[in-house]
Amino acid sequence: MAENIKTANYDALVIGAGIAGGEAALNLANNGFSVLLVEKDLSIGGKMILLSKVFPTLDCAACITTPKMSEISRHHGITIFTGSEVQKVVKKSENSFEAVVIKQPRYVVEDDCTACQLCEQACPVVVKDQYQYNLVGRKAAFIPFSIASPRVAAIDIENCTLCGACEKVCPTKCIDFTMEAEEYHITAGAVIVATGFRLFDPLKIPRYGYGQYKNVLTSMEMERQLAPTRPFNTVLRPGDGKVPDKIAYVLCTGSRDATVGNPICSQICCMYSIKQAQLLMGSLPMADVTIYYINIRSFGKGFEEFYEQAKGMGVNFIKGKIGKITEKENGNLILRYEDINENKLKESEHDMVVLSVGVLPNTDAAGIFREQKLEFDHLNFVGQKDPLASPAETNIKGVFVAGTASGPMDIPDSILSAGAASSEAMRYLIRK
Amino acid sequence: MEVEKGKTHKYLREKREVPETVKENLKHFTRVKKSILESLRDGEMTIDQLTQKLGMPKSEVVFFLMTLIKYGFVETGQIDDMDEYYSYKLKQ
Ligand SMILES: Cc1cc2nc3c(=O)[nH]c(=O)nc-3n(C[C@H](O)[C@H](O)[C@H](O)COP(=O)(O)OP(=O)(O)OC[C@H]3O[C@@H](n4cnc5c(N)ncnc54)[C@H](O)[C@@H]3O)c2cc1C
Ligand code: SF4
Ligand code: SF4
Repeated sequence: MAENIKTANYDALVIGAGIAGGEAALNLANNGFSVLLVEKDLSIGGKMILLSKVFPTLDCAACITTPKMSEISRHHGITIFTGSEVQKVVKKSENSFEAVVIKQPRYVVEDDCTACQLCEQACPVVVKDQYQYNLVGRKAAFIPFSIASPRVAAIDIENCTLCGACEKVCPTKCIDFTMEAEEYHITAGAVIVATGFRLFDPLKIPRYGYGQYKNVLTSMEMERQLAPTRPFNTVLRPGDGKVPDKIAYVLCTGSRDATVGNPICSQICCMYSIKQAQLLMGSLPMADVTIYYINIRSFGKGFEEFYEQAKGMGVNFIKGKIGKITEKENGNLILRYEDINENKLKESEHDMVVLSVGVLPNTDAAGIFREQKLEFDHLNFVGQKDPLASPAETNIKGVFVAGTASGPMDIPDSILSAGAASSEAMRYLIRK
Repeated sequence: MEVEKGKTHKYLREKREVPETVKENLKHFTRVKKSILESLRDGEMTIDQLTQKLGMPKSEVVFFLMTLIKYGFVETGQIDDMDEYYSYKLKQ
């Protein structure tokens, strides 16, 4: 690889192309700055592009994300590397950072792929589809999802049998197994960290039975079941394909819980659960949805009304702490909980349980910054030098943070945060 | 080395061994796909009926059946009188 090192120069390097990184890149480019946007996944869009609808307006997530992502992709001031990671960033002087970026081979020449999906049809291999949160399969030659950006095939080399069926049918002959990882040496005047968040892994709470009981899902799995590009024809239990009619939500799964190492509120779970409850009642009119909560945090604009709307639609709210979930032979689930208002231990039966998993920090950026280390706060989110006066600044001058990389927040706040990060970056670049 | 376009998998085959687990996974899917499609040749079936016929866990039947729907081999049929379980049929 060393002989093939490529070099390039940009005004700004943005790491992570979720809604925050994408928005920050767009702001910079619209103001005449050149941007390299580096995304480790095969598509830009982060978690937002995989959501169903968004609270509290219930706008379709794809309808908002898709035009934004295509604006980012088409912008002549933005270069996008997907399937790529920033290996290291070193600050050389004021307004000068040097970065090493590794672009993993996609085994498909992006510019020549027409997204005809013939390779996907021909490929004999089926593995779990990570973009549908493993609810359904995908091929080893695959387009990540229908609204992926870029909408280009990729080869999952780890699961490929190298049979050549995809190459045989590809009309543009753009599949290329000779591709190798490429190393880029980048210089940039400023850096924005927008590496987003991780979801809490419910396997860490074995008493909820996730992984063991197939009808216990995470909220992200339910997002997929409710999205227009869903894995099934309607909402179904993954355990046996039954249309569920008594669905429970367990709020604060992995949030406000020091025993699992996350003492803080994730800020989004109450609202996305209330959103999903409303969507479920829309798609399964006979469904009975119960939300088990400790407190409902409906602090944002229109949130309290959204909560009231859910109650008006018939969603049940029980102030209760779940002790244990067990499974019956028919796949139904028994929730043992403490009814906080009545101070009593109770049990109830549901045929599907959704765990409203919390937001955890993504510490990917920790190892990237060499020499001057990037500081993290006590919860492991990227540290904000002055959270009140200048929330986008980090301890390294010229490095800014956008979106959930700095803490839990919803989409509007991630966009606002990206606005702050890009403005601060522009101010820094202009000062040069 | 000049590699012919459209046959580049041969180049990688020389450099990279395909793991046994990947080969096993392909065999498993091919077997399950064949059994599901053969079972449905006799008419619509529910997941419960397919599970009994194939002797596989229900959740696996759901996974593979939904994958076969995604790739256009199977389609969803009628729902039962209780509005609980669909049956599935071969796509015409
Ligand atoms: C189930 C669920 C439902 C939700 N519903 C709503 C809703 O209805 N309304 C709402 O406002 N909010 C909702 N949210 C919250 C919303 O998803 C977030 O606010 C938003 O996605 C944050 O965007 P982000 O760009 O900060 O992070 P992310 O979406 O996490 O994006 C980060 C990006 O950075 C990339 N990345 C990470 N590490 C690296 C690296 N080292 N190098 C390169 N790239 C990297 C990731 O692949 C990803 O593309 C929901 C969240 C969940 C979990
Ligand atoms: S070479 Fe790999 S990706 Fe292509 S069809 Fe065969 S298994 Fe699928
Ligand atoms: S067959 Fe070729 S052109 Fe069509 S989606 Fe696959 S890689 Fe792209």
